[in-house]
Amino acid sequence: MHLVVILDLSKHWLDAQSSLPFSRFLVHLQAFLNAYKAASTDSQLAVFAAAPGRNLLLYSDHEKGSLNETDPNAYPSFTLVGSTIAEKLAALYSDLEVLDEPCSLVGTLINALCYINKAITTGQCTPETDEPRILVFSVSPDLSTSYIPIMNSIFSAQKLRVTIDVCQLLGPETVFLQQAAHLTGGSYLQLEATEALLQYLTMTFLSPPSIRATLAVPIQDRVDFRAACFCHKNIVDIGYVCSVCLSIFCQPIPVCSTCRTKFPAKLVLQLKASQLPGITPQTSQASSTRAASAPSRADAPGTADFDVSMHSDPNSLPRYTRNGKA
Amino acid sequence: MQSSSSSSHQNAASSSSAHLPQNGNTNGEEKDAKSSHVLLPFLQSQSQNTLTRLYQKPSACLAVFRLLSPLERQLVMNLLWLDSAISPATMAAWVVRDRRNVYDRAIQELMKLHILVNSTTKLVLNNTFKASFRHALTGGGTSGSFGVAADERQSRMSLGVEQLDHFALERWETILHYMVSSGTGQQPERPSKGVLFLLERSALMASMYGAMQITSTGFQFLLHSPHDQLWDLLLQYLHLAQERDMDLVDVLSFLFMLSTMELGRTYTASNLTATQKVMLKDLRDYGVIYHSDNNAGCFSPTRLATTLTSSAPPLPTGRSTGGGAQGEGFIVLETNYRLYAYTDNPLQTAVLNLFVTLKYRFANLVVGSLTRESVRRALTSGISADQIISYLVTHAHPQMRKNEPLLPVTVQDQIRLWELEKNRLQSADGYLYTSFASQADYEFVLEYAHSLDVVLWEDPVKRCFFGKAEGHGNIRGFIERRTGGAL
Repeated sequence: MHLVVILDLSKHWLDAQSSLPFSRFLVHLQAFLNAYKAASTDSQLAVFAAAPGRNLLLYSDHEKGSLNETDPNAYPSFTLVGSTIAEKLAALYSDLEVLDEPCSLVGTLINALCYINKAITTGQCTPETDEPRILVFSVSPDLSTSYIPIMNSIFSAQKLRVTIDVCQLLGPETVFLQQAAHLTGGSYLQLEATEALLQYLTMTFLSPPSIRATLAVPIQDRVDFRAACFCHKNIVDIGYVCSVCLSIFCQPIPVCSTCRTKFPAKLVLQLKASQLPGITPQTSQASSTRAASAPSRADAPGTADFDVSMHSDPNSLPRYTRNGKA
Repeated sequence: MQSSSSSSHQNAASSSSAHLPQNGNTNGEEKDAKSSHVLLPFLQSQSQNTLTRLYQKPSACLAVFRLLSPLERQLVMNLLWLDSAISPATMAAWVVRDRRNVYDRAIQELMKLHILVNSTTKLVLNNTFKASFRHALTGGGTSGSFGVAADERQSRMSLGVEQLDHFALERWETILHYMVSSGTGQQPERPSKGVLFLLERSALMASMYGAMQITSTGFQFLLHSPHDQLWDLLLQYLHLAQERDMDLVDVLSFLFMLSTMELGRTYTASNLTATQKVMLKDLRDYGVIYHSDNNAGCFSPTRLATTLTSSAPPLPTGRSTGGGAQGEGFIVLETNYRLYAYTDNPLQTAVLNLFVTLKYRFANLVVGSLTRESVRRALTSGISADQIISYLVTHAHPQMRKNEPLLPVTVQDQIRLWELEKNRLQSADGYLYTSFASQADYEFVLEYAHSLDVVLWEDPVKRCFFGKAEGHGNIRGFIERRTGGAL
């Protein structure tokens, strides 16, 4: 078995009204990691942290140190995991000066994927039997700028057959991580009660995918599939999709910013004219849902507003010229 | 006056040479070993009281937990942090419908081990197990069950990891080498008395003509992986311990404690029980721990000990790899029955010699071929064709792993055919009935014998048939009655 844990160490932990202090979370996490390590000596573990402005490896079975003294009442490798993580965290916090820098959760996710990829290529991990997994403990809301890298890492995870599990400890649901869990066959948990955190973790995230075939884990019944537009990084309900490269935009544009495809000016004007009041870039994701916007789309027949997932009607695709050739 | 039935009683074909190889036996064993550990049936046969006492040690809980199947482990974990019992329906709600039987079996297994309380109305862990296992995961408690490290002065006198590996390997190979070369006229180093006694008790060796001879079980044992071999011996040791009136809980918890210790660390023996101090000597003979007499207060577990409950190779891998079964493979087998073994290890050579005709020996290479004679020799000593093939598969050279299938099909088939060849003759005790006066007489008696289902062979032309020994009384009586009736 192969598990990579990602900790989100952003400043959201410091929110005063938080029902889950970081110290208490660490205690539960330690017990969870021990439970994972207890299963077998083959259980490979790595822990990454996404700290403000940097990400780093807190613990890895490949580069573990050794304990100077043993506690007769504790299993040595458990103590080693706990003490290594505690040491690294302490060193990290004494180093940190600016807490305001954003945490790059997606950067850490990519790091974790690289770590697993390395383990696979060096033969330390076989995807079929070891069932590599990533477990993300997130406390931050979605960072819409990270939409593209997250989608890319989801695709890499699918290719590597890595399952991504997500536990949103604090704050609102995250659309992107939800999609990550859904698309890789993982499980997404929005923590509601923090008292029995360890029980939640054990029931939901401890079992490897092969056991989940027998003993089910909570899955999402509703997944938010919305995407972020490439131009303003807003999460959109309905957007405009480039018919060449499938880039998503929140408003009609004459030239695709990704593939430089030029759209006819007439079409852009037409689209802008028919633009619905509900899908301006300023719209927040909460105000309009897909269901609410559906009837309004019917009001404007024949226009080419392209839903992210609906560009099947070939007649409504805009004509385009490429690189100036008519 | 006709003497109608002078049945001549000949004791045909005595069964002295009858040895029917137990086909498929090994396959079944291997499958079982994969699905559940050899120790679990032994634990399940123990009383609830014994097991509960064993579960007082966090290290024992951890070790037993590791022997469980993945599903059983998850079930234990799901229940571990709950304070009260839950109803079986609550847990069953999580089970995917068509996997229900797997789940039920897992629950049954856990109840047999008394990890789950035996009840149909509630699902709750054994209190002792729950408390100890929580301690194992979170640390704390005062049991000291993970071993108390020796002080620095004592540690300095002990061995490093490399020396420990060397020690374990040497001890372990001494045992195997003694087994494999018994009866070949060589005089290898003898293992200690305790080991010899255990080998004899476990029927791996038997005392014949005043010398120890390896038995057919012993030959099969040699082809197992070191991990299985070790557990086979330890299981015998546990049975023996019961007879020697050693406290089984002490013995088991010491083994489990060893399995959770760190390789290369020295532990103090001062807080061991009397039973466990006796075990120190026994286990040293197997190479499981290192314990020297001039530093009697402490001991160090070897790799054999620390890998007891894991799937890591129990013997160091490397150039001098001995049993090195799980290290790199070394055998290349060609379609022309030639076999090249890249090894300089006398033990491996000796094991190969069981079923290969060796031709040349070089510094790092042994060349031989599988012949009818050599395989038959192995078959007569009780090794089955499947065992030979599985040994060749597990020890195949990395180069061989590119082949699909791994071993040449012709060779595999031929080994199996040679085994079948051996099974051509079957012998049975019985009586031959001949010299019937008339065809009618013959058929009448034969019909009766058929109704008893004791006929093994018949020949109507010669008017004779062969019946099993156990039917003789009846047939004889039948003939006499009939003769009497005719008179």
